[in-house]
Amino acid sequence: MPDADQEHPFHRQVRAPDRPETDLELLVQSVIDYSIFMLDPGGRIVSWNAGAQRIKGYASEDIIGKHFSVFYPPEDIAAGKPDWELEVAVTDGRLEDEGWRLRKDGTRFWANVVITALFDGTGRLRGFGKVTRDMTERRTAERTLDERGKLLNHLIRAQEAERRRIAWDVHDDTIQSMVAVGMRIQLMAGRLPDEHAAAMSRLNDAVSATIGRLRHLTFRMHPPEIDRAGLSEALSDYLAQVASEAGLTWELRHDLDREPSPEAAITIFRVCQEALTNVRKHAKATSVTVSLSSADHGVLVRVIDDGTGADPSYHGSARHGHFGLIEMRERAELAGGWWNIEGRSGEGTIVQFWLPMPPVGGPAERYFPG
Amino acid sequence: MNVSSARLKVLIGDDEPMIRDVVREVLEAEPDFDVVAVAGDAEEAIRLAERHRPAVAILDVRMPCGGGVRAAREIRRRSPRTRIVAFSAHGDPGVVEEMRRAGVTEYLLKGVPNDDLVAAVRRLAAAD
Repeated sequence: MPDADQEHPFHRQVRAPDRPETDLELLVQSVIDYSIFMLDPGGRIVSWNAGAQRIKGYASEDIIGKHFSVFYPPEDIAAGKPDWELEVAVTDGRLEDEGWRLRKDGTRFWANVVITALFDGTGRLRGFGKVTRDMTERRTAERTLDERGKLLNHLIRAQEAERRRIAWDVHDDTIQSMVAVGMRIQLMAGRLPDEHAAAMSRLNDAVSATIGRLRHLTFRMHPPEIDRAGLSEALSDYLAQVASEAGLTWELRHDLDREPSPEAAITIFRVCQEALTNVRKHAKATSVTVSLSSADHGVLVRVIDDGTGADPSYHGSARHGHFGLIEMRERAELAGGWWNIEGRSGEGTIVQFWLPMPPVGGPAERYFPG
Repeated sequence: MNVSSARLKVLIGDDEPMIRDVVREVLEAEPDFDVVAVAGDAEEAIRLAERHRPAVAILDVRMPCGGGVRAAREIRRRSPRTRIVAFSAHGDPGVVEEMRRAGVTEYLLKGVPNDDLVAAVRRLAAAD
């Protein structure tokens, strides 16, 4: 038994009550704005309240006994964050953190988390108290006001304008020149002796293939329909094209309560484009579904295929060199959202991401017109 | 001359000189075609179409002074017997639909074989 001097320095401040007050228990159970629950010393969940169910989506019978790391995104688990947070809580008595956490359905919310280590009268660790708030909405509102949000919108517009300019240049200059060259080769082929026919035909084929590649490049750089017809139209055109090239059936589900801002629409389109490129190149899928829905004051997008299933090592994948995945994730995170990929061998892949959508006419638009 | 008047009169409208020149050569290699006018923008195409009343006008979509859409619409109005082929680097459905509404019945993506262009012109002239 440790004597008083050896007691943990925090056990006097935070102590599990010997006999909880009924009213207090009732309060904890009923609060819905905060997720309040306890972990055993190993990090397994031993209690659950109404707020936890509301915020995280699990009923108590689904979650009690599970390790609390189920709430952390794969990249945090890979980094050892759950265990590290408990260690800090033990050492310092408490730990406070803000970051993405997972709900039961795999979507994320921006959480403010306080973990408090609970010691009994002898200084022995009895477990942890965990209080979590869903701050997604407040974070979205703050980001629309801050300089970073403004800068980001500016950056997205500038990047798209540059891409568009390059796409037009390639379209109007390079492709036209190649077309003229190709037509002239065909003319010459008709006038040359037969022995040159095969060489001219090969030359013409090379020019045609180059035109095709340039056309594909310009299409990828500038989605021609997004500024004309809106996001879902642009996506369905793109899906139709990718699906026909790859021999896939496709579906676009669109259930947004309003059209995203131009910047969000561009980000959504670009991330979907990258995800669909992966489906086409790697998935060996027969069908792909893209769904857009309103969730958490933002847009939740899922790209689901029935292919071979992405390699789980894709996570946190800079070191694996999957630049397409890095780009998707960076785009979503830059916009204040999140992104993840789930794949099981033989069961297809789900790329899902969420972007915040500030309310129309909200503070950002009032303070920063134009 | 009598011989030339029996031939199929064609107008070319494209702001890219390399394309104009080679399209002209391709068409003039056909003994029954007569390229009566070559325009570098929509305005010129409309003016020359009104003057020459070609059987077929081959129009680029993106060109100065209103583009192929305006040129097609005006040519259809001022020279109703002229049929129009769009010859464009743009294949996106919105542009194709806009040209169709302006009275364009054949839409060829630049890069198709020369024979396809020649065949489209013949098809349109014969349809009249």
